[in-house]
Amino acid sequence: MSLLRYTLRRFAQAIPVLIGIVTITFFLANQIPGDPVEIMLGPTPAQEQVEAIRARYGLDRPIYVRYFTYLSGVATGDLGLSIYYDRPVLEMIMLRLPVTLLLMLSAFAFAIVTAIPLGVISAKRRNEPADHVSRIVSLIGVSTPSFWIGLVLIIVFAFYLGWFPARGLVLPWANPADVRGAATQLEVLRQSAHHLFLPMIALGTLQMAQITRIERSSMVDSLQGEYVKLARAYGVPESTIVRKHAFQVAQLPVITIIGLGLSTALGGAVLTETVFEIQGMGRLIITAINNQDYELIMGTTLVFGVVYVVGVILTDITYSYLDPRVTYGED
Amino acid sequence: MSINSATSDDDTPDGDDESGGPDEVEARVGLRYTLKQVRQDTTARIGTYIVGLMTFVAVFAAFDYYILDYAIAEAVLYNPETDPDQVRRLLPPVGMENQFGQGVLEHPLGTDHRGRDLLSRTIYGTRIAMTVGFLATAIGLGGGTVIGAVSGYYGGWIDDVLQRVTETIYAIPFLVLVIAFMTAFGRDLTFAMIGVGITAIPVFNRLIRSRVVSIREEDYVEAARAAGVKDRNIIFRHIIPNSFAPVLVQATLQVGVSILIVAGLSFLGFGAQPPTPSWGQMLSASRGYMLPAPTFSIFPGIAILITVIGFNILGDGLQDALDPRINN
Repeated sequence: MSLLRYTLRRFAQAIPVLIGIVTITFFLANQIPGDPVEIMLGPTPAQEQVEAIRARYGLDRPIYVRYFTYLSGVATGDLGLSIYYDRPVLEMIMLRLPVTLLLMLSAFAFAIVTAIPLGVISAKRRNEPADHVSRIVSLIGVSTPSFWIGLVLIIVFAFYLGWFPARGLVLPWANPADVRGAATQLEVLRQSAHHLFLPMIALGTLQMAQITRIERSSMVDSLQGEYVKLARAYGVPESTIVRKHAFQVAQLPVITIIGLGLSTALGGAVLTETVFEIQGMGRLIITAINNQDYELIMGTTLVFGVVYVVGVILTDITYSYLDPRVTYGED
Repeated sequence: MSINSATSDDDTPDGDDESGGPDEVEARVGLRYTLKQVRQDTTARIGTYIVGLMTFVAVFAAFDYYILDYAIAEAVLYNPETDPDQVRRLLPPVGMENQFGQGVLEHPLGTDHRGRDLLSRTIYGTRIAMTVGFLATAIGLGGGTVIGAVSGYYGGWIDDVLQRVTETIYAIPFLVLVIAFMTAFGRDLTFAMIGVGITAIPVFNRLIRSRVVSIREEDYVEAARAAGVKDRNIIFRHIIPNSFAPVLVQATLQVGVSILIVAGLSFLGFGAQPPTPSWGQMLSASRGYMLPAPTFSIFPGIAILITVIGFNILGDGLQDALDPRINN
């Protein structure tokens, strides 16, 4: 089976999972106590007003009708209307999703770039001081809450040293006219990187630590492999062995852990956005919840699920692409 | 822990392994074996000390009236006219530099924004975190064990249905899932615990199911089945005790993970409600005071860090200690 067919099949397999997510979030959201209409109109609204609003948002129909209406809406890309923002849910999400994706991608980039050398050095110098340092760093990394790292970074690098801004985010592709103090696109890029630095570290540290741990153990295994012994026996230089023979094989478990880390990172994004007051998907879902905006809660949760599922599929595909043993067979 | 006793009873050959000679075969499963391995492994021992210390602090916090007084107070109220001594004892000297009581011996870590002693509140927070960490893990372990065991043992459509459902739960980023769950059912600590427990179910489910699938075909399970032992007894008396080591490792790590998630939830306003002090909620309150009182943001975080490190070291140590490949 070709890679394309494998990819298509993986996406097809994800459809029931996505329907499951829609179902879970729909019924959870409808379980929420309180009345969104009351929140909108205050405690003593006029009866006609209430009915008009209920009809407009479809709240006057029975729950199963609303469920199937919602499900068919989702299938056609209609996620409903946000009561709080009075705009289509999809529009709000499209506004916020790029912010969160930028944050996530930069966090993973930071994690991979720092973790892979750390893990490799650790494995190469097993039980030497460099290994101990790297292991302690990664242990602290997996044990520290991301939002606390954010707070400490703000205190040190924003308040005391004044090197980075403490809040907000600038998108690198934003129009220079909309960004304060930026005349050119290059200025916008610089500001974007400046704003992104602290949140990226706060969100990426956990991933960095996890990838370091896996990279280390995977490299340790790989360096003990038969092919490495053979290469050594043939007199291949140690640096070539590490770089070519051991390293490539050792990356497969790392890809798996990146896929699994997506779920943690998406949750971490909610926290990081709160700490740095970044208006992304995480803040959107919290705003939705605080205002009992059903459709927005369902929409954001669904999109979080979609991002995760797509991420996992992409890591699976990368994995099968890199591992010559995977044959795209039936199962 | 009936599982443990069942393990030692069932799987220790010849019963007595305390005075066992060198040629005696020793079981590599069960509680007694685990304890012996942990004693020999430095990492596992350090983890045990940290977890033990935190458990002690958590239990101790429940009995110390001084801590309770400070920790659960809405705010430290005082009347400077009638009670000047009280003012000195409870409230740090008020001034620009010393607004949060840094450096005052009675408040070694300073006080929070309502004049409450930070040390007492951090100590009390240990109790909340440990309780929540253990109970959430227990929920995940219990749910995951039952689902994984049933799913793996029976296979077929039961397996399919159960696995698809847990996969779906797993496909929603867990912090988002718990937030949605708590919004629907309740914002307090109980639901935080249940919610985090539910997100841990797929983890244990996978672990147990894969163990069950591989053990199902073992000779002793075949023998038990042939002898007419009921399915339920085979699962709970043979298969689950034999999965003890990996489950213990996972559960230990999961306590740390649960503490981290619950801290995150409290930080967002889901979890322990004021005035009950939880670390996450203290950190959330500290956000407005990061410049004048950085200690307020630092210490609850260090408490989380130490506790979670304890569980992670213990988990790693257990893994090393119980992994037969490393022992050999």
